[in-house]
Amino acid sequence: MGAVYSLTLRQLSGKWRLVIMTVLAALPVLIAVLMLHSAHASSVKNFEDVVLSTMLAGSIAPLVVLAIGAAAFANEVEDRTLANLTLAPIPRWKIVLPKLLATITIAGPFVAVSALLTSYVAFLGDARAVLAVTMSALVGVALYASAFVWLGLVSTQAIGLGLLYIVLWEGFFSGFVSGIRLLSIRYYAIGLMHGLDPRRFATGNNVSFGAAIALCAVVFAGFLLLAVRRLRRMDVP
Amino acid sequence: MMAPAAPVIRVDGVSRWFGSVVAVSDVTFDVTPGITGLLGPNGAGKTTLLRMMTGLADVSSGSVKVFGQSVRDNPPLYQRMGVMSEHESVYGFMKGREFVRMMAKLHGMERIDEAVDRAIDLVDLADAQHRPMRTYSRGMRQRMRLAGTLVHDPELLILDEPLNGADPRQRVHFKRLLQKLAAEGRTIVLSSHILEEVEELADTVLLIVNGKLAASGEFHAIRAALNQRAYHVKVVCSDPRGLASAAVGLSSVDAVHVDPDGGVLILSRNVLDVQVELPRLAQAGGISLRRVEPLDDSLESVFGYLVEG
Repeated sequence: MGAVYSLTLRQLSGKWRLVIMTVLAALPVLIAVLMLHSAHASSVKNFEDVVLSTMLAGSIAPLVVLAIGAAAFANEVEDRTLANLTLAPIPRWKIVLPKLLATITIAGPFVAVSALLTSYVAFLGDARAVLAVTMSALVGVALYASAFVWLGLVSTQAIGLGLLYIVLWEGFFSGFVSGIRLLSIRYYAIGLMHGLDPRRFATGNNVSFGAAIALCAVVFAGFLLLAVRRLRRMDVP
Repeated sequence: MMAPAAPVIRVDGVSRWFGSVVAVSDVTFDVTPGITGLLGPNGAGKTTLLRMMTGLADVSSGSVKVFGQSVRDNPPLYQRMGVMSEHESVYGFMKGREFVRMMAKLHGMERIDEAVDRAIDLVDLADAQHRPMRTYSRGMRQRMRLAGTLVHDPELLILDEPLNGADPRQRVHFKRLLQKLAAEGRTIVLSSHILEEVEELADTVLLIVNGKLAASGEFHAIRAALNQRAYHVKVVCSDPRGLASAAVGLSSVDAVHVDPDGGVLILSRNVLDVQVELPRLAQAGGISLRRVEPLDDSLESVFGYLVEG
């Protein structure tokens, strides 16, 4: 698995991709600083809704992961190099899993540092709140990564479809239709954050902590299995 | 009496279609040790067939067995196979040696450095092994990809258009290498759309035309059949009528026609005879040959002849 993992790390570490991710990751920190210094200081609930839920969990994290995860397989399919891997005597999960881990390795630090700095600024260094936000952001990265790595194998239009998913599903429908929150990675991450620091974050119409943990495991494993199945059945270009 | 050895590859009634387009239609053959050439014009279905033989693509019907096992979704089989696809794409950021090393790791090799050195020496690219592959020429990329294909010392090699992009010196080296590998007992299947390329290398030929197996067998028998086909040659010379009257007397010539533009069109059923006799007739008649142009020597016409024949 090490060979596929290090190959994918090198493939996904392009200079421009890293620059775009840095800019995206810096945005929530910037907004948090501006909100803190605004004449009309935000409530925790307002900050959570605008910065943590809508911006970090619902936009920045999925966009950063989409830029990396969709390319993990899509680049190989487009460049017609995937056969180098699939013609090796290794089970398919040993190709998918290291690609997924490499995606998390690259995208994770950007989102985690963004979440950490944003929450540190907003909650004035409250360690538990910072930990809750950072941990849930990292779990969100893992879940989005599993979804977008699979998407990169399924479609040559993974970036476009991923953007539609982020805007329509995670951004629009899940904010208005509460039932959809059970099928939203953004709300799993928010549910985890509430569970990790219930003192700081108000409970509301969110996924419960227990349900969030279970759903995270199901989604991560589900997309991983779907990607392995796809790689076994597809015609490799 | 000994039973014949089991084929290394058995393709049995294989078809593949994409929507309403039939790419490969009911193809059956066996491949045994030695070099087998898969020959056919561009778009004939060679690559689709090879992709099914390597498990990269699924069959629509029929079956492909390699070493007696189904090749599709059977990764352990790749320990015994080496496959080089027709695409020349490489990981441009990787040095040649890194690529071969990665392939060795993927195949679970133990003495990796030893295997990598051996494979790179085989393709004669030791001097370029520490350069990024994006700086390689087409031929060099192909050779380094071949090193990656050979690094685990496979018993079966399947190579799709391996000589693409190779210069004449590289071609000679490549041909010698394949002959050496075949002499060691390996089974090699290589595809090409160039008749002469396969002629020099392959003991057995599979001719694919329009997705069907048009002919198969020993190369020279097929070549002999080609030499008996109807063959048009257009000759531009200093004395068209003189050459036409001389050529009509040749037993191998079926018809001669003088074009209004002065060209002589000769129809023959013996290519070799025309090739030998035409210059002799011209010399005897004091005629200058300005241009001799085979009108239907393209591979497509050869295949057309075989299919219709």
